[in-house]
Amino acid sequence: MDALTSAAAAEEGRGIEFTGNWREYLPIAITNALLIICTLGVYRFWAAARQRRYLWSRTHFIDDSLEWTGTGKEMFLGFLIVMCFLIPFFLFFQFLFPALIARGKGEAAFGVIFLFEIAFIYLGGFARFRALRYRLSRTYWHGIRGGSDDPGWNYGGEYLGRIALSLMTMFIAWPWAATRLWNARWKAMSFGPLHFRARLESEGLWRRWLLLYLAPVGFVVAAMSAGIMAAGAAKTGSPPSAGLMAIIFALAAVFYIALPLLTLNWYAKYFRHAADATTLGDLEFSFDATTLQWLGLFLGNLALAVVTLGFGLTYWGYRNWSFMVRHLRVHGVIDVSQLTQSTTHAPREAEGFADAFDVGAI
Amino acid sequence: MRTRSTWGRSDALIHARLYDGATGHPHEVTVAFGPSSIRLTQADGWSEEVDSTALRPVDGGRSDVRLGRRDRPGWRLILPPDAAPNVRELLGREERYGRWIDRIGLVPALVAGGVLTASVVAIGYAAPHWIAPHVPMSWERNVGSAIVGDFGDLRCRDAKGQQALEAVVERVSPGATRGPDGIKVAALDVPMFNAAALPGGYIVVFKPAIVGTDPDALAGILAHEVAHVRRRHVAEALLREFGIGALIRLMAGNIGANAEQLLALSYTRQNEAQADADAIRMLRQAHISPRPTAALFRRLAKEQEQHLSMSAEFLESHPLSGGRAQRFAASFDPTAHYQPTLTRDQWDALFDICSKRPRRP
Repeated sequence: MDALTSAAAAEEGRGIEFTGNWREYLPIAITNALLIICTLGVYRFWAAARQRRYLWSRTHFIDDSLEWTGTGKEMFLGFLIVMCFLIPFFLFFQFLFPALIARGKGEAAFGVIFLFEIAFIYLGGFARFRALRYRLSRTYWHGIRGGSDDPGWNYGGEYLGRIALSLMTMFIAWPWAATRLWNARWKAMSFGPLHFRARLESEGLWRRWLLLYLAPVGFVVAAMSAGIMAAGAAKTGSPPSAGLMAIIFALAAVFYIALPLLTLNWYAKYFRHAADATTLGDLEFSFDATTLQWLGLFLGNLALAVVTLGFGLTYWGYRNWSFMVRHLRVHGVIDVSQLTQSTTHAPREAEGFADAFDVGAI
Repeated sequence: MRTRSTWGRSDALIHARLYDGATGHPHEVTVAFGPSSIRLTQADGWSEEVDSTALRPVDGGRSDVRLGRRDRPGWRLILPPDAAPNVRELLGREERYGRWIDRIGLVPALVAGGVLTASVVAIGYAAPHWIAPHVPMSWERNVGSAIVGDFGDLRCRDAKGQQALEAVVERVSPGATRGPDGIKVAALDVPMFNAAALPGGYIVVFKPAIVGTDPDALAGILAHEVAHVRRRHVAEALLREFGIGALIRLMAGNIGANAEQLLALSYTRQNEAQADADAIRMLRQAHISPRPTAALFRRLAKEQEQHLSMSAEFLESHPLSGGRAQRFAASFDPTAHYQPTLTRDQWDALFDICSKRPRRP
């Protein structure tokens, strides 16, 4: 066995490779879908564990495959714990809000909603952090796992604060907040003894963000001038010209096509920069998916779901994972004899919060 | 002891890779399979026997077979694919769908799950109907007054108008507003055409439902709401609401949409039909003509066709099935001596109930 080298290097090639194929995954997809339907959705935790066991085991990282050790049971329990916490919270607001409205106290009701939103954003950030931490803690490679010693409460506060600050700039400053949050999240994570480092800067991201940000403004201006032209045409009594109709049609098309495209355009660059800025020990990462490739992923997902009458939804996780892995590259050297077991606390509550708030890990 | 077949395969030493879980450094080992354990040996002479009870199969890729240890997280033995029969013989199949499902088999699990799911849905839908009549009225009243309060500034507080409003309820259901469980009826200055029964015996009528109708039609509407209260449909809807859809609410908040939440409790079709039947009976006993109510429903149906927004709310919570106006119209008895619901003075007072609304300090 020539795998017995003390230092495994990512030589030529990508360093990370997805070796699964959709036919091999099909039995998992079908049985997962059936069991989820037959159990009122309870099986989805076990389904997620099976899906990840497959995807991780088909992901070859440098010289060995990844391994997912999370279980459906722990994710289900995590979900129950979070529900025990959230249900009283929701019930309280469910009663308090109509009670205030019925007493004619509109301001107080809005105050309550405001507090609710704050708590919601805080927990959303917390959930995102915990999901990442949980996933790393259940991911093994060479028998070593990742994790974090940070419980994530502070991250929730930072998340809330940065969102509040960028809200004050009407979200013009969002790239600043997003990059800082990426750094804060990843800096708290580790794999074995190695710490992730992230030095993501908002430089180079502003142009695409402003493009996305200003597009709706441009749209409103264009729509208003089209409206003024229409009004002018109406005043002279002539019916609106075909040219004008074409402009209005083009505007609608721009709105529905350009905005999603500009969003992808921003995220494509954001992810490329983010991967470049993140390291683990001496390992560096890069990500090369372009806007068009992201578009292909989303349109493919959509088409798959439509053509298969919804069954294709069960392939979204597979497609998203393989997309991420195919476009990721790993460079550098990792000394596996120095790669000692993680001493981080392995969280037990799984990703109940992330599940409840419907946020992804990355 | 050692049968021939067991040792036949395991006599051949299998080369494998071992991660000890302490570092990521791979060790080259040879593995010998015994009947209830495996023996690992390294070239330097190190050797360890691991009992099969401590071992578990781990999902590997296609190119290898993996074993883990229950007592040592991260301990992994990576065997070549041709060791798969040895592993299966030693440990059985690895977990597939989850422990319970593996035990009973996929198809029985699907059938059992399907039956269970269907019954849960059926019970979730039907149970509130059985339970509601047994919920003490005092509980419902507590919930109701906690939610509703005194309606604050929304409420129209004209004393004479209030008397007239209560008089309508008393006409259709004598004695209904009296006693601890009496119906509390309130007019609200909210610009929608609607009326509703709320938890705890509260009935609210919005201003347009007063000024846009006549006393007899209003009696028909109120009789319908009284029937909801009497039949415990409100408690039933509450149970249904909190049984199934409690979490989804309250996410988007503008005040108009949330005011609607007061009325978000919806009744089943059977409940609506039952409330209509009760209302028709109440009108008959009170000697109130059902025709104005029928006319109102006809008018609302027409407005619905024309998408006039004023009545949209009412129709949403009181769906107009085709025969509804007809049922009221059919209950008209040409030989009966119908009497007006209210006197002229009472109706004038009720009509103005929201127009001289005193602002509270």
